[in-house]
This record gives sequence, C-alpha cells and structure tokens, in this order.
Amino acid sequence: MLKSWRCCLSLFLLGVLGPGVVSAGHSFENTAIVRTVELGGSLVHVTTTYAVKALEDGSRLYTLALADSEHEKTSWLEAKIKGEAAVLSLEEFGYSPDGGAYLYTVELPNALKANGTANLVVETVQTHVTYPWPDQAAQSDGQSLKYETDLLVLSPYHTAVQRTKIRSPLPQIHSYTTLDDFDDFTTESPVTKSGATITYGPYYNIPPSSNKDFIAEKQKHVIVHYAYDNPMLEVLSLKRTAEISHWGANLNIEDKVHLQNSGAKLKGHFSRLEHQSSQYYGRPSPQMLPALTLHLPAGIHSAYFYDLVGNVSTSHLRVAPSVPKGVQSNLNSVMELRPRYPLMGGWNYSFTLGWDSPLRDYAGWDKQTGKYIVGVPLMTIINGAVVNDAEIKIILPEGATDIDYSPPFPSLHSNLSTHVTYLDTIGRPAITLHYKDLTYNHAGTIYVTYKAPFSTLLRKPMAVAAAFISLFLVGFAAKRVDIRIK
Amino acid sequence: MAVAYSLPSDVSPATVTNTRSLLRIIALALISGAAIASRLFAVINFESIIHEFDPWFNYRATRVLASEGFYEFWNWFDPTAWYPLGRVVGGTIYPGLMATSGVIYNVLHALHLPVDIRNICVLLAPGFSALTAWSTYMFTKEMKDESAGLLAAAFIGIVPGYISRSVAGSYDNEAIAIFLLMFTFFCWIKALKTGSALFGTLAALFYFYMVAAWGGYAFITNMIPLHSLALILMGRYSSRLYVAYSSWYAIGTLASMQVPFVGFQPVRTSEHMAALGVFGLLQIVAFAELVRTHVSSKQFQSLLYASVIGMGILGAGAIIGLTYKGWIAPWTGRFYSLWDTGYAKIHIPIIASVSEHQPTAWPSFFMDLHSLVFLFPAGVVMCFRQLRDEHVFVIIYAVVASYFAGVMVRLMLTLTPVVCVAAAIAFSSLLDTYIEPTEPDVADDSSGKIAETAPAVDAASSGSSTAVSASSSTAKKTKKAPTAPPSVSAVAAAMTPSKKGEKPRGIFGLDTRFIVLLNAVGMLLFFVLHCTWVTSTAYSSPSVVLASQNPDGSQHIIDDFREAYYWLRQNTPENSVVMSWWDYGYQIAGMADRATLVDNNTWNNTHIATVGKAMSSSEEVAYPILRKHDVDYVLIIFGGLLGYSGDDINKFLWMVRIAQGVWPDEIQEPNYFTPKGEYKVDDMASPTMKNSLMYKMSYYRFPELFGTSQAIDRVRGQQIPKAGTTLDYLDEAFTSENWIVRIYQVKKEDILGRDLKSANAFAQGKKRKRTKPPVRRKATV
Repeated sequence: MLKSWRCCLSLFLLGVLGPGVVSAGHSFENTAIVRTVELGGSLVHVTTTYAVKALEDGSRLYTLALADSEHEKTSWLEAKIKGEAAVLSLEEFGYSPDGGAYLYTVELPNALKANGTANLVVETVQTHVTYPWPDQAAQSDGQSLKYETDLLVLSPYHTAVQRTKIRSPLPQIHSYTTLDDFDDFTTESPVTKSGATITYGPYYNIPPSSNKDFIAEKQKHVIVHYAYDNPMLEVLSLKRTAEISHWGANLNIEDKVHLQNSGAKLKGHFSRLEHQSSQYYGRPSPQMLPALTLHLPAGIHSAYFYDLVGNVSTSHLRVAPSVPKGVQSNLNSVMELRPRYPLMGGWNYSFTLGWDSPLRDYAGWDKQTGKYIVGVPLMTIINGAVVNDAEIKIILPEGATDIDYSPPFPSLHSNLSTHVTYLDTIGRPAITLHYKDLTYNHAGTIYVTYKAPFSTLLRKPMAVAAAFISLFLVGFAAKRVDIRIK
Repeated sequence: MAVAYSLPSDVSPATVTNTRSLLRIIALALISGAAIASRLFAVINFESIIHEFDPWFNYRATRVLASEGFYEFWNWFDPTAWYPLGRVVGGTIYPGLMATSGVIYNVLHALHLPVDIRNICVLLAPGFSALTAWSTYMFTKEMKDESAGLLAAAFIGIVPGYISRSVAGSYDNEAIAIFLLMFTFFCWIKALKTGSALFGTLAALFYFYMVAAWGGYAFITNMIPLHSLALILMGRYSSRLYVAYSSWYAIGTLASMQVPFVGFQPVRTSEHMAALGVFGLLQIVAFAELVRTHVSSKQFQSLLYASVIGMGILGAGAIIGLTYKGWIAPWTGRFYSLWDTGYAKIHIPIIASVSEHQPTAWPSFFMDLHSLVFLFPAGVVMCFRQLRDEHVFVIIYAVVASYFAGVMVRLMLTLTPVVCVAAAIAFSSLLDTYIEPTEPDVADDSSGKIAETAPAVDAASSGSSTAVSASSSTAKKTKKAPTAPPSVSAVAAAMTPSKKGEKPRGIFGLDTRFIVLLNAVGMLLFFVLHCTWVTSTAYSSPSVVLASQNPDGSQHIIDDFREAYYWLRQNTPENSVVMSWWDYGYQIAGMADRATLVDNNTWNNTHIATVGKAMSSSEEVAYPILRKHDVDYVLIIFGGLLGYSGDDINKFLWMVRIAQGVWPDEIQEPNYFTPKGEYKVDDMASPTMKNSLMYKMSYYRFPELFGTSQAIDRVRGQQIPKAGTTLDYLDEAFTSENWIVRIYQVKKEDILGRDLKSANAFAQGKKRKRTKPPVRRKATV
C-alpha cells in the first residue's frame, strides 16, 4: 500500500518538484505531540496526536514525517481530526533524501488562520516490528518479545512538547531503554514506568527534526522487552478466490492460508504428555495456538475446511442468518477451527477454508448503467495475524464485459486474466489483486461492476445441449450405417 | 394345453421386443446405480479420501501422471522411496490404473470439467463396478440368457466379496481389474462361440489392459489355456477354438510384453508356459486335423497321432529342460504358497505377514457371498446339464477359483464373479421354471409333454423374470421355437423329470408357484440386506481415519494418522528421512511427502529386515543402523492408550521374524517371549523385549500419563511397569492426540565425541559409577 503509493505517485512528484518539496506545505508549529504505542504480537498499533498551530493564514497542507525504518514497517496509515470520523486525504511525497524521512501531506478539512489550531490524529499499524526474545522457548516457558522504535517523533515543524507512551499488554516488562545519558530536551528523568506503561518524555522545544543532521545527532533508539502470552501469528500467504455465479446465485469464497506461529521457536521437542497435562491443569503453553476463531459473513452455507491430506473434522460453524445487503448488522457466522495439531512456536499449518453465500447479499444491479455491482470482502481477519502476501482473485460470470473494480486501497499490482472452469466455453474474466502486509484494518470490500447480458446466461445450457445433440446425432448415424464387410 | 395363468396374446412382437430392450436398459441402469451407490458409504460416513495403504501410492503416482504427463511418469525415478536405493517407478508398477485415471482426468479437463484428481481416484472403483456389472451381464448372457445376465449383474453389483475391494476410495488395481477380467472372458467366450478373430483380438486387447493393470492377469493367462486344453482333451477341438486361441495368444502376448514391468516374462517364466504350451499344442492338433482330412490311410493316421503325441511330449520336455537350464524362471515363492499354504510361513515371512495372504476362514465365505454360496454349486451343476464349450469354462473357473479362494483371503475376489454367474444361472432357471405358466397335461402321453414344454421354457427363460417379459413368451414362442437349442429342453427335463408309465410331474396351480417364488424373492431380499449391512459396517472404513462415538452418540473422528503425517509434512525439513515399518511407507510418502526406508512395495527383503533389526534391537545396536541410513525420524504406531489393536507392538513379532531371517545370530524370536513362552509387555516381559527400540519407543513416558494410578495398555490388557523406559539416542518429537502415532527424532552424534548414553547421563547430572568400566565409545559411521 504505502510502497505502491511511492511507486505510482512519489517518483513522479519527486522528479517534478525536486527536493524543494519539503517546503511545499504551509508552515505550522506542533504545540504537542503524543504518541501511544500499543504493543502486540505481530501487529503494533501506534496513535500519534499532533496538536497543530498554524503560523500563517490559509494553512491547509500539513506535512507528516516517518522515519525510514518506521515507514518500511508501517502497513496502515490514516489521519483524522480528533473527534471526527472523516478520514483526511493523504498524499505521499516519498523519501526526502536530505530530510532522511518519508513525507506525507495531510489536507486539513478547513484552512487555518494564523494561530488557528487543530488536533490531528494519525493512526498507524506496524507489522514485523516485534521479534521474540529469546528466540527459542520450551513448551512450558513464557514468551517475550522485543519492540524497537525511535524515541522522537519526526516532524518538519518545531515542536513545543512531545511524549511517547508505550503500553504493553501485560505488566511484565523485562527491560526498556532507560536513556540515562539523555538530557537534551528535558530536565526531569527522560523515562518513567508505571504498570504496563512506559512514558518517554515530556521533551520540550524540539526543533524541526525531519532532517539528516537532527536524526544523526539527536535521535535515540529505544527497545522494550515485554512478556506476551498469546501466539504471534503470521499468514505467510493468503490466496483468496471469490467466484461469482449468476446461475447458482452464489458467491463462493475460498481462502488458501499458510499460517505460521512466528513467535519463539519451540526449544527441544513437543511433548504430548506435557501438553495434555497442562491442558488438564488449565495452563496451556502461552505461545501455542490451539484453535482459531474466525468471523465469517452471515448467511453462509456449505463451509469447508480441509488441508493437503483431506478434511479436517475438528471445526465448528455457527451460522448466523443471512443479512440483506444495505442493512447494518454485526451478525457474523462464527467458525472455530482447530488445526490438526496445536501450533507451537515456529510451526506451520496450511489449510483451505471456503464457503458459499447467497449472491443477493453481495450483489446489486444498477438500472442506470445496466451494470451489476458486487462487493467482495477482501479478507477474513485472523485475530492478531499479519498477512504477508495476499493474492485476491475475483472470478466474474462467463461473458461479463465492461469490468471495473475499486478496491478499498490500491493494490501492489493487479491483472485481468481468464479462468476456465465448469463447462465454460470462452472462460470467465478474473481480476487478480496483490497485496502485502495486510492487517485487521484492511478488511474492506472490493467493489466490482460489470455488464452481463442475458445471452451470457444461455451460453452454458446451449453449449451442453449442442454437445449432447451432436452425441445423439453420431449415435443415430452409427446405428444406421452398416460398416460390416460383406 | 393347460396354463396356470393366461398371458395377453394381442401384443405385437415388435412391441414386445422394444419393451424388453427398454426394460433391460432400465434394469442395467438401476443395477449400475445400485452398484455405485452402495460403494459410497465410505464417502458419506467419512469423506472423499484414499483408503488404506497401497491406494496411497497409486494416488501419488496418478498425481504425478496428471500433473507432469505420461512420459515423465514413465521415466519417474522416485528417490524418496527405499532410501537410499530409490525406486524406478515406471518400470516397477502396473500402470493401467494410473493411466485410466489420467485419461479420465484429461478428458474431463478437456471438456472444461475441472474435477480434482483425488475425486477421480476415489470414485474410479465405484464407476468401474458399474462396468463390471455390465460385463458380467454380457458374460452370463452367453451362458444362459438375458434374464440370468441381469441377475448376475445385480449380484456382482452388490456382492460384498467384490465390494470389499472396490468401495469409493479403495483406489487399487483390483478396482478396474475385475471389469477387465470379466470383459476379457466375455470376449474369449464370444470368440470361441463364433470363431471370430475380431473377438479374439478384442480379448487380446483387454487382456493387454488387464496385464497393464493388475498382477492377477496370470489368472487369465492360465484360465484360457486351461479351458482350451480341456476342450481339446474332451475332443471338442474346432477351427473356432483355433482361431480364437491363436488370435488371443499371439496378439495378447506381444501386447503384454509392452508393459515394462512384465517385459519378457511371458516367454521366460513358468507362470506363462501353460499358455505357450497350449498354443504349441493347438498348432500341432490343427496340423494333425488338416492332415487327417487329406489322408485316408489308417496306418498313416495312427503314425500321425503317435508323432503328435511325441511332439507334445518333446515340447513339454523342452520347457522343463529350459527351466532347469535357467532359461525359464521357475515358479516364484508367491506361486508356491498357493499350493502349499505353509510354504510362505517358513520361507518368506514377509508374504505370510500380510493378513490378506492368510487362508480364508469359513465364515468369510458366507460374509462375502451370502446365499450365493449355496446357489453357486447348483449353477455349476446346471452347466454340466448342457455342457456347451462355454459351460466348460465356467466349470473350470469355478473349480480353480474355489481352490484359490480357500488358500488366500484376497483371492476371494477372483472367485466372486464366477459365483455370481453360476448363482444367476441357477436362480434364473428356478424362476424360469416357476414363472412359466404351462402346466403339465395330465391326460397326455408324457413323452410328448417334454417336446411341448421345451419351447415354452426356452421362451420364458429368455425374458426377464418380470410379468411383462413373461407376457412376451407367447409372442416369442412362435418366433424362436424352431431355432431353440436342444440343450434347453434338457433343463426342462431336469426341472420336470418324468419317466414313462408314471404320473406326469410338474407344477400345478398358482399356489405352488407363489410359495416357491416368494421364498426365492425373500432370499434375494435378505441378500440385499446382508450386502448393505456388510458393506456399511465392514468394508467402508478408510482405515486412515478411525471412527468412534461420542457419549451423545454422535460420530467422533480419530484422525491421529493424518495429524502426525501432516505435522511431518509441515514442520520437518523437506529432505528428512523417516523410518517406519513398511506398512506405513506409502502413507508417509503420500501424506507426509517424506523419504521412507521401506514401503508396501516389499521388493527388498534385506532392507525390510534392516528396519526390523533396528526396531527389535537395543538402542546401542540400532543407533549405528539409523545413522548409516540417514534416518532423521522414526515413526511408530502405538494403540495402547486407545485400544487400537493394529499397532506396531502387535506386528512386532513379524519384524523380529523377518530380521531373524537375515541375521539369525543377532535376532532370535524366542528371546522376545517370557520364559513361559508368552508375549508380554508388562514387567514380566523379557529383557530383550524391554530393551528393544520398539518397546522403548512405544512406552516412552506412557506410564506418566496415568499419574499415580497404574498404566494399562488397553490393547494387550497388561500393566506397564511404572519405572518407564528411557531413551538416550532418540528424542520424542511428536505424539498425536490419542498417542496412536509417535515420532522420534534420531539424535546426531555428540559434539564432544562421547556416546550419547553417557552424554545424556552427564546432562542429567548423574555421576558415572566408579565400579563400572568406562563405556567404550561406539564406532559410528
């Protein structure tokens, strides 16, 4: 997502605007920056609140800066005005070589007058930013992770005060960087810890920081080592196939998932005896994944869960009744999957999960354009897991034309292909979208519009009928022609 | 003439013929449907999965064929089997089954029907069972008539003896072989009856297909020559026989030699010599017949006969001589075990260790054939009544197959078709007799009676047993009566024997007819019930997945095998080598996709014995063997927790026996028994038993599972000593949910060069006892 923006937009913009891009925005001052880091397993949620004061009239474009390392690991970035739901439009300017950071421009909803203020909330989700430490843990051991980040939030503007809060899911924080020799922007102790929260700051009077000199001289690196007693999950690859069938009035969705427990690797070997006794005493191994609970759409039927060696019988599905489209509802079918074996640290499990759902819950017909619109869910959230590599393939009915699609956020790359399946004559058009590092925030809907005239519906029965008629004709002829040698 | 009930006489012959053929098609379609449906229990109760052991290899090979094409498959060398030897798959299998699935797969995909190759493999056997029903119909039609054919088709469609080998998922060679067997026999009978080279060639082509599909083709290779020989000896030589046999043998043998696994066997092994010998004999007899028709001198004829017999003896002598010289391979061990049931046990324990090679128990005849068991002899006797050439075939087939079925459980499969054919002949004769409306004329002279009833019986018998076809009998009577074969009247005579001067005998009235027919139909109903019950309970378990019941009565699936195999597949390095007993080789290769030391293609007895030795020796002895074979994981099956009786401890004695066959000094079976001669695993067990790798791996940490109470092995019902076993050279790597599959990792050599036992003791903080001499380091290569 971020990378794709860089590819598409920023290179072009950089070439045109050159390094002067930094000053393209208006001038602001940060009266306060508060960054809150919610530590997790594979995903770390970061909320940064910028209290912004305009220094001149008509200030509308605010520039955000992300450090190089942070940018690489940020898979989701969203800016809002505090207390409002509307998402502000973001434009990426890419890497600024002399700034040493990636820059984004946020367009505020209203231009600010001089000394006008706004509270900007920037939410990011970071992936692949934590790692298990120690990287091996025995079956009954706990699991600890390390999180690394930069101390100061970069900004091209002067900052009056900023602080960083790092919140751990458990109060057991083994260690954190104490910054004993840090006395640049503060007179008090640079870091305080209370319970599960570590607060760095407040730091006062930070000059514009998104430049190389500042980063080289002032920026600090902090590491937090904390206990985490949930499995750390990664979906190495997700292949979703959504097949739209007008004949069956059906939307079939099938996910091929390669799941990995990327937490601390199992030290030694798995002992079933220990596993069973810890289950018996109610103390399951913290890094183990015994089962997954997935929230599938309402109204699904014919769900299946299998892997390379066949059906996995250990799953339960509680189906919620179908919800008509357009109706707000938080009904979900709940699928409990139990992999064949408990997923210990470093273990893999690949499986296929699929279901059918009534097409009427997803599709509509636009009278004005004569086009069908189908909303295909982009992914199913696996709690706490990052999807490293996703390929979403949407197969449209045979003979669909004027295909158009709008994903909730741009894909890395996409292509149109032809997919030939049951009794097709010319094949079905298929859209394939590729994504990287998807998180729970990315579970949007891909809207696909296409025209499918009535004649395309008749293609299949005609083809089958023609095949049978020719078969009968051959039989008819063969019965009546005498090929014996007299 | 008196009739028990009247038939409508105003139906035109054309209507009758059309109705009859329509009914026949419907009946065959329903039979096919029933044959397919009754084999789907396994899919419905469990899932669409490949069953048991051998099918997993066939399935894996088919996947290679489907994904990489036929030539790749043909040249496929599988380095993961028989590690480190590897296996040339293309040259060591019968490719017919895989090729069939591959063709079906490609045809369906060409039609844009992307059916999964697994589903094709799973459903191939039911599909072919429908074809078997049809070919049995064709075969039996040649023996008697269409109604007997339909009965035979219905019998073979649902008889458990055949279902046992052809349920959905049982993707084995037998799945298509029985169809090919019956169709080849049909073509042979047809060729023999008509003297048609076309049908002889067809028989040869299907014989080739059969050779490509199943090792049991040798049955055809010997059945047809045996039939021909019997016909010659009965003085029934004819040019039809000559044409049929020559075209079948010449084309069939040349074609069969194209299968790489068979190669030159048809001219070099004893199993095939009968066919060659009969072929030679036929040429001599044909020559003699030819000369006889042209020469009239009696002396010359007797000279000719002498020379013919002399040539025959010379030929037989030549074959025997070549065998002694080694040009023709003598009978193989498997073949000897057919004649001497004790042979395998003494000489080839690996054959004897397979349960399906055991002699058949009597109840299994009833279980597999039900009422057909006692209809079968009646049918064979019926064949004697007419004794046309084809009836000789059925009689020979019945005798030979009965013997083989008694010797080996799995050969019940070859007996089943002839049982169905013979039973159908008997049953349809019974129905014909009792449905036929004609009553014997009391006033008439009894000698005239037979002549009258004969055409009627013939007409009735060619219809099916339904009322509609019975109605055709009157119409057909006029048409077919003049050409009726005289042999049919013999049946009628058999059914209504009458002697001169006695009161005419026969069936009078409707009530007698009803009593007999109701009983007969009742028997058929019980047959159907029995077949359904046996199929659903005994033959539809995939054996990869076990079923049990939850306390609330719902089905609980015990899926330990797949759990462990899938764990191996997903969480071990791809080049790992897994050692297990050979039973699980194909499953590991198919499901876990890892290299195995031995598998179900038991071609290398020494290699299997090596595994047996490793399993039955102590850790110190086994470790160098494991390391030499690059074994990373050892997989065993342990049923003690759940009471799964097919586990490795129960198979252990076979491992010992097979290892003993190669290393009689190191492994001795008696050492594994208690002094009283019992096979025990509790604290009475012999020290050799307790120290064996298999015992240690099976019970490693098992008593701990029971906490303070006594650990009980639920299969053997014995108490396991609390002390438990220790393992120094292996690590427990994975144990499945119900402990059925246990996987151990072989430790690498100690980096400090100690032997692993002392390294382990050191790691546990144990001091080496001074009194004990220092443990000598084991040489490991």
